[in-house]
Amino acid sequence: MGLREYVVRRILQLVLTLWALVTLLFVLFRMVPGDPTTRFVMEYPTDAERQARIEELGLNEPLYVQYLEYMGQLLRGEFGDSTHYREPVSQLIFPLFMNTVVLMFTALLIAYTIGILFGAAMGWLRGSRFERGGIVAVLMARSSPEFWVGIILVWLFVFQFGLFPRSGIGGYGGELTMNFVDRYVNFDFLRHLFLPALTGAIVYLATPALLMRNTMLEVLKADFVEMKKAEGLPERTVLYKHAARNSVLPLVTVAAIATGAAMGGSVIIETVFNWPGVGREMVASVSRNDYPVAMAAFLLMGTSVIVMNFVADLAYLYLDPRVKYE
Amino acid sequence: MTLLTIDGLKMYYRSDDGYVRAADDINLELERGQTLGLVGESGSGKTTIARSVIRLLPDNAEVIDGSIDFDGTEITELSERALRKQIRWQEVSMIPQNAMNSFDPVYTVGQQIVQVIRYHEDGVSKKEAKDRGRRLFGELGIDPDRVDDYPHQFSGGMAQRAMIALALCLEPKLILADEPTTALDVVIQDRILETITGMQEEINSAMILITHDISVVSETSDRIAVCYGGRIVEQADAETIITNPRHPYTLGLRNAFPDIGDTDTDLVSIPGTPPELVDPGEGCRFAPRCPFAVDECWDVTPQPEEFDDGHIVECHRADEADELRERAEQKETWEEVRERPSQPQGAGGRR
Repeated sequence: MGLREYVVRRILQLVLTLWALVTLLFVLFRMVPGDPTTRFVMEYPTDAERQARIEELGLNEPLYVQYLEYMGQLLRGEFGDSTHYREPVSQLIFPLFMNTVVLMFTALLIAYTIGILFGAAMGWLRGSRFERGGIVAVLMARSSPEFWVGIILVWLFVFQFGLFPRSGIGGYGGELTMNFVDRYVNFDFLRHLFLPALTGAIVYLATPALLMRNTMLEVLKADFVEMKKAEGLPERTVLYKHAARNSVLPLVTVAAIATGAAMGGSVIIETVFNWPGVGREMVASVSRNDYPVAMAAFLLMGTSVIVMNFVADLAYLYLDPRVKYE
Repeated sequence: MTLLTIDGLKMYYRSDDGYVRAADDINLELERGQTLGLVGESGSGKTTIARSVIRLLPDNAEVIDGSIDFDGTEITELSERALRKQIRWQEVSMIPQNAMNSFDPVYTVGQQIVQVIRYHEDGVSKKEAKDRGRRLFGELGIDPDRVDDYPHQFSGGMAQRAMIALALCLEPKLILADEPTTALDVVIQDRILETITGMQEEINSAMILITHDISVVSETSDRIAVCYGGRIVEQADAETIITNPRHPYTLGLRNAFPDIGDTDTDLVSIPGTPPELVDPGEGCRFAPRCPFAVDECWDVTPQPEEFDDGHIVECHRADEADELRERAEQKETWEEVRERPSQPQGAGGRR
């Protein structure tokens, strides 16, 4: 099988998985008791008015009709209107989603870069004080609750040193008309980004660091590591170009799934730093039975996981020559 | 001219129970262009001895005493950096047992050859280095285009040849071949050995050939050293070791391998297991397995004794070799060892 055929088949698989995800989401949300009007009974003085609203939303139709309509909507690239805000979901959710993507991507990038290098060094220096101290530090970071790490960082950097703003996302004030670069590439935004990203990085660091250390220990037993030493290559070359390069393979999948899942946002980090991300909106919309918003949020998150997995599979083709197109 | 002189080398491994005496008082010499066969069972110290030359040993290895003189350089005192840059691969390369696992799987064989050439030789372009790899592939009977293949795309014998190309790419003065054919099937074994010795002659490098198979070294070596329990119990030119051995262990080793022309003789194995090397105590380390052990053997460590022309033996009864050789051919001689008590009455040397 050629590369092209492999990619095409993986894309078909991806589409199928997405369809399953959408269907599952649809069914799950309709199984939740109540409907978008339930929380706002006061808004509808008479049953007739409430009934009118339900009909307006199309919720009186048989389930399969609603399902078909929803699928049709998605195919047109629409998510419908929020039942709570009464405005298009896409306008509502995409800016939030972008905020989350920027935050989480920064946090994960820091966590995986430092984690991989640090874990590789821990594996290389097995049995040393550095390794023992490193494991304790990483496990402490991992076991600390996110909100606690966030609060400590705020206390330190905001109230003691006064270096960073306390919360929010900066001066653009939710101007959705600004383009991506203007919105995110400015000093004010980066200052607001620092603390929440650091919080995420600290909490996410443990997985890559510990996993990398473990696979390093396995790889270091391999004959080729000894051979590269026999070849007289400098230690740094053997460590990073050969041992770490081989150890990083299992991390690709983990990193991809972590990235995908993180795109759903971290409710806790977003709450501590008052970050306008998709995580908080997701929770709020679920409790409001705001189907379109909740489903769009979950759909974005699920899609991220699925797409990142696909990216990981493609990355393997490049990273590990032993992988065959199967 | 002498290339390598190992003098009184004691290379021990630290362990929780004390030092493991993996190489204990080793004396060896190797001439330029010659091949030395190191024969012995697993754990006899042969790999430790060979790897000491490039100090490619686990972290708990420690030189207690002795010196390793390689072409005028004292290896035991060399800095880590000088060792890497000047000795490893540049002067001394290695052919490992399992070639397939000894290449990094994520780089092509060519990339790995280019890397080592360019690290050790200044001013060599990638293309020049790769061309050298292609030329070596050609000489070793592999399609030169296969330098662009990944290790997993090679067969076992092919990978071993590629490894030989890697080992020879800097034309080292010494090649450490650590059981280079053990992982291959018998038909290919011979051809690979021939390839190695042929190429070795071409670039006139010396070789230390490590093996547990005495028949392998008898064909290819100029000199053979027999290792047992961390010591070299007998060494001489190959001819002498095969026809006129003096140490009972060498006698036993000869019996343990089949002679394909002689179907009448039974294979006789040496009874017992290799000695504990943590605290071997006084006495000959082979005594518990030796059919000819006398009281002296249990109490006094035999010292190297030179017989005619560089034939060095560590055995109290080496001068009775002619008689022992005959007895060693009898199966019964060795079976008696199994039945006797592990230590004779009255021998008090071992605790």
